[in-house]
Amino acid sequence: MNSETLNTLDTYSKNKYKYGFVTEIDDEKPKKGLNEDTIKFISQKKNEPEWMLDWRLKAYSKWKKMKEPKWSNLSFPEIDYQDIYYYSAPKGFDKKPKDLSEVDPKLIETYNKLGIPLEEQKVLAGVAVDVVFDSVSVATTYKGELEKLGIIFCSIGEAIQKHPDLIKKYLGSVIPPGDHSFSALNSAVFTDGSFVYIPEGVKCPMELSTYFRINAENTGQFERTLIIADKGSYVSYLEGCTAPKRDDNQLHAANVELIALEDAEIKYSTVQNWYPGNEDGKGGIYNFVTKRGLCAGKNSKISWTQVETGSAITWKYPSCILKGDNSIGEFYSVAITNNFQQADTGTKMTHIGKNTKSKIISKGISLGKSQNTYRGEVSFLRKADKARNYTQCDSLLVGNQCGAHTVPYIDSKNNTAVIEHEASTSKINEDQLYYCRQRGLSHEEAVSLIVNGFCKQVLQELPMEFAVEAQKLVSISLEGSVG
Amino acid sequence: MNIQDNYQKNKKNIFFSENKDIQTHREKLINIFQNDRFDKKNNESLKNINLKNFIDFKYKYLIPEETSVINNNQENSYSIVCVNGQCSSFKDDKIEITKILDEDYNDFSKNDTIENNDHFVNLNSLFLNSGFKIVIKKNNKIKIKISNIITDDGLTIFQKNNYICEEGSSLNLIEEYENKNNSTSNILNVIKLEKNSQLNHFLIQDNSPNHNLIITSHSSCKKDSTYTQKVYNFSEGYVRNFHYSELIETNSEVDLQGIFFLKDNNTSNNKTFVKHLAEDCKSNQVYKGILNDRSRATYFSNTHVDQVAQKTEGYQLSKGILLSDNASYFSKPELKIYADDVKCSHGSTIGPIDENAIFYLRSRGMSKIAATKILISSFINEELSSIDNEQMSEIIQKKLVRYLSKVK
Repeated sequence: MNSETLNTLDTYSKNKYKYGFVTEIDDEKPKKGLNEDTIKFISQKKNEPEWMLDWRLKAYSKWKKMKEPKWSNLSFPEIDYQDIYYYSAPKGFDKKPKDLSEVDPKLIETYNKLGIPLEEQKVLAGVAVDVVFDSVSVATTYKGELEKLGIIFCSIGEAIQKHPDLIKKYLGSVIPPGDHSFSALNSAVFTDGSFVYIPEGVKCPMELSTYFRINAENTGQFERTLIIADKGSYVSYLEGCTAPKRDDNQLHAANVELIALEDAEIKYSTVQNWYPGNEDGKGGIYNFVTKRGLCAGKNSKISWTQVETGSAITWKYPSCILKGDNSIGEFYSVAITNNFQQADTGTKMTHIGKNTKSKIISKGISLGKSQNTYRGEVSFLRKADKARNYTQCDSLLVGNQCGAHTVPYIDSKNNTAVIEHEASTSKINEDQLYYCRQRGLSHEEAVSLIVNGFCKQVLQELPMEFAVEAQKLVSISLEGSVG
Repeated sequence: MNIQDNYQKNKKNIFFSENKDIQTHREKLINIFQNDRFDKKNNESLKNINLKNFIDFKYKYLIPEETSVINNNQENSYSIVCVNGQCSSFKDDKIEITKILDEDYNDFSKNDTIENNDHFVNLNSLFLNSGFKIVIKKNNKIKIKISNIITDDGLTIFQKNNYICEEGSSLNLIEEYENKNNSTSNILNVIKLEKNSQLNHFLIQDNSPNHNLIITSHSSCKKDSTYTQKVYNFSEGYVRNFHYSELIETNSEVDLQGIFFLKDNNTSNNKTFVKHLAEDCKSNQVYKGILNDRSRATYFSNTHVDQVAQKTEGYQLSKGILLSDNASYFSKPELKIYADDVKCSHGSTIGPIDENAIFYLRSRGMSKIAATKILISSFINEELSSIDNEQMSEIIQKKLVRYLSKVK
């Protein structure tokens, strides 16, 4: 460790105590419930300008008139919005486990299987450590490099303060606050998230990730991420991490907006592994995510890759609006559900411009008593000449109490556009299983190998370091339910 | 006029309006209409429909003067002319034809496979004014041809038919809908297949532009039975084909096929729904559409596999060709699977005619129109060549030639 890093660590750790971080939080316990005061409280807490508060309040007044979308194939008890904390500040040290021995041993076991270093394990499990050695040093060195290139990478709160022009122009431009009730809710109460701006012609040299952002300790339950790739730029963004994460907040409603201008490319990868509830389906996170990308300029490209293994309920449709001519949208997804998990996930590709192309590869695996639904919409509007889509969604069923469903919506209004869709559902091929077992693999290993092969098409789209962990994650998700 | 007033006013012309049970059922339906108000946004089966024709209609029904004719022209072969949805009674040792009765209505209203939000089925139950029941007796092989005739302009036919194929029987049923007058038919066929029975059902639809045809069918298949349905829609008026099937006992099979040819401003809505409720059953759904000019079509298909229905094979395929810039096609092939030992798949394509294929044919000296026509015919050739009835295939070929002559 060089001296510069050590200095940074020093100042960082001192700062935390200097401002009496812990006591301050204890004094201001936020109230439960959603009303204008809550929103004003959040806005004040974040020190936001007047126009931002207005924006939030407008979204709130829209939300009041809306009902939750009901078309998904999910069943869950009604959400009581007045029984939720909307501003969750970081936890005080005294509430956190003191060291790893106080953490659920099952969790530690999983970390070890994933090969996560000890220091990182502490952060993930929420152990009270002053400073995380690895990520801070990484973050500081990265930050300098990014600044040199003119890349803005900060929290959304910071961006509202420092880059109001960009925020005013782009926030809510892809997902209007009034789109549906979860987007309105998020617009009213979002507390954290990332903001990325890649200037014209810049290729971002590294994968950006919330993990490396210093203040990412509490990626909030209402996350708002905005990524803008200016003309000719490129960025790859990673969200989440492979390790299972506990969170006290049951309801999550994140909004992610991507904007790719002319010739720009955005690659967005997610690994979602929130707490899925226990084996009897008790607890677990409700994850209602709206993700949408706009290919605004010619020749732009947006690519979504997701590995969804966590959450009791996943409601998530990363979509692309292909507005610019020749723009490309891609969606790669692996969704694994086990025990009582329910996932309703898919994508939406809206072809507006000429020669636009989209590709959808979705793999669903259901185990235990879970329900896994692919829901996707591909639509070609009148002017989408020569547009092209290819969709493939495969489902694998393991066990006879789970369900796999496919619900594609296909709409073509242009006679030069070509659309192809295929889907299949089956159980694990007996012959393949036999072959593997004959060569000495246990039943569980064999299933894991076959499932990994089944997902390969998607996993290979993940950035290198993620891909290795994701493979392990797939195997872990299958554990205990096979055989 | 709203639906409730319409119903109250014409009550005396509607079947079974004296029956208490049916009355309460109908009141329930009226409530559904009032609460739902044909909400297009949340009920996708109403997509593309000009609802005004169906909600705000003028109820008019005439009991036909001349009774229909039933000919037993050849052995085991019958032809029936069904006038305004009515059919006179007939009985021999092979088949029995009667009017529909209260109990048939009740039998049907308890069925919940047809979703409650299928408003057209509910309208049918509410305004029911005609229909018949055909029973094919045990171990008989029968051919029936039904021609549907509507006598006057402005008639609204709400017809319920019951088909029962008893054990070991086999029925070849051809239905023709060729109406030239300005009227609306809303028909519901309820089909029951007993053990080891078979029904081949052909529907040829060729109506004029101002005739609206709404056909819904529901079949339930018992052990070892097979239901095959082939729909050919050449109509110039609105047609709705919704077909529901239930495989309730093992080793039964259902095969639903449809081809529609649309042009001008025409619309067609199609749906197939297969529910696998027993082991070892097979289903197949194939729908193909050719859309020209400003025509629009929707196709919903749904394969539902229940938890007990292991060893299921369920296949779906939908293909659409758009011949013009202004045509649009919406398809939604759904799979809902709750059992693990299944083989299910679906495929769906929408696009223009393959340019390379056209190029190939043109480079061999064909004109563009000729090449297009050849490729359209080959697109549906697989289905047409599978018709084993010569007479049928001739009729369909003729209609196809007529459709192709308008393609430019």
